[in-house]
Amino acid sequence: MITLPDLVETVVKIAFILGLTIGFYAPIIGWIERKQSAVMQDRIGGNRAAILGFTVIGLFHSLADAIKLIFKEDFVPRGAETALHRLAPVISVVPALIAFAVIPFGGTYNLWGHETRLVIADLDVGVLYVFAIASLATYGVVIAGWASNNNWSLLGALRAAAQMFSYEVAMGLTIIGLVMFYQSLSLVEIVDKQENFYHWGIIWHFPAFILFLTCAIAENKRIPFDTPEAESELVAGYFTEYSGMKFIMFWTAEFLEIVTISALCVTLFFGGHQIPFVTVSGLIDFLGFLGPNGANAAAMLIGVAVFIIKLTLLIMLQMSIRWTLPRFRYDQVMKLGWKMILPASLIWIFLVGAGILTGVMPAV
Amino acid sequence: MAITFKKVDRNAKLTLWEASYVPEILRGMSITMRHFLTNMAGLVMELAGGRKHRKIMTLYYPEEDPVIPPSYRGRPALVRRSDGLEKCVACGLCEVICPPHCISIVGAERENGERYPLTYTLDGSRCIFCGLCEEACPKEAIIMSHDWKNLCEYDRSKMIYSKEQLLYPERNLVRRLEAIRGRYFGIKRYKNN
Repeated sequence: MITLPDLVETVVKIAFILGLTIGFYAPIIGWIERKQSAVMQDRIGGNRAAILGFTVIGLFHSLADAIKLIFKEDFVPRGAETALHRLAPVISVVPALIAFAVIPFGGTYNLWGHETRLVIADLDVGVLYVFAIASLATYGVVIAGWASNNNWSLLGALRAAAQMFSYEVAMGLTIIGLVMFYQSLSLVEIVDKQENFYHWGIIWHFPAFILFLTCAIAENKRIPFDTPEAESELVAGYFTEYSGMKFIMFWTAEFLEIVTISALCVTLFFGGHQIPFVTVSGLIDFLGFLGPNGANAAAMLIGVAVFIIKLTLLIMLQMSIRWTLPRFRYDQVMKLGWKMILPASLIWIFLVGAGILTGVMPAV
Repeated sequence: MAITFKKVDRNAKLTLWEASYVPEILRGMSITMRHFLTNMAGLVMELAGGRKHRKIMTLYYPEEDPVIPPSYRGRPALVRRSDGLEKCVACGLCEVICPPHCISIVGAERENGERYPLTYTLDGSRCIFCGLCEEACPKEAIIMSHDWKNLCEYDRSKMIYSKEQLLYPERNLVRRLEAIRGRYFGIKRYKNN
């Protein structure tokens, strides 16, 4: 039976996540992408969009983009499957958003006698849920490519389907070692077990992190794995025929996927909201001078802030990868996925199993 | 500088180290991150009022002007002597050498016997900024100035410059004058920038 405080708590958490992803990260990633790439390439980057003379280092360009795209013509090409053409952007945005439901962005805090756990849904199978949802994103891409009645779109969609399918297999396998190590599929439990800094995923599973990040970027269809939307080959790939608001939705979906992947990396490998060498209860004790509720609230804010900092750093890592590497050729993408990452992740599972059996890896 | 080229072996066999991607990716990222960090430091220093020294070569054009090198060829200008009269003696050499025939001169003579151009018309819409008039001129009377702004008009008739529009005081042309003297006569009085 759901009670009123639980309902309020859930609604507030959902509002927070929506605000954080769509309201904060979507425009900020657009800005980071522009500015970071510019500074990396000895340029300055967009800085002319201004409101009342204030440019805020080019932050308003995201706003200007949004306004421009909203007022653009909503174009559906002749011969396109109208209903599916309209549906596709939604199908690609929604999975990126709802994958966030199981990602803990804070610990458990006792606020005014109400136990608050900073995760929207504490599923026992959180990892599986994320992968299940992530695989739904393929539908958006494939439907977009197929419904557009455009050869380039269809080619992009075919590539996306093959690539996302291939890398999903490898991505799932890279996480198995981690699941064996933490003996849980629940993301909340995995984060709780990383309270001890020496049990962080990155320390014991660094190869898995590299493999996972590679697969995740490939899953996200970003450079160096952006063959589905390769500008120089396929115009814009599967969203060639999209304009205006629908184009923003594909764009937002890509940015949200970056956030989701980074959040998943933070959760699995970087201890989520945990600060190294500080436990949540220790932090609450340390802040005890604020009173029980104040200490919990302050610890909650610190936990969320730490999570956001880690998330932003990982997003910037992905950005620098994106602006450093050239695109793989399509056959190279496939070769990398099936012939290198898949065997490597199987070997890693074997090594983790051996490590756990022989006691080299600590039991957590 | 001699042109050098590097032959790319497209069938190069990667070593295991390179084929494992990760170290090479990290190497690439170290380069981009180095650029990122040095540029960030430079931008922060500049915001903090430090000297403007950065790797980023972008110029905020309407607000900032580029540094024009001394040998730059802008719009041709007639040199005005210190007594306010033009140096030109209306010999017509520039008129003859001008490849697009954009110069036309009507010469005349002053009371003291000096020749001067009664009218000196230069069609800016035809000028190709080659600098041959400057080379041909025996009197250093026509000089490629460093004017590079406002050379465009919506109406071609506005681009036909009269003598009055072309006359510049000599002090505005000193950098270019020294540059061409250095080049044509081997006088090394000028320094780059």
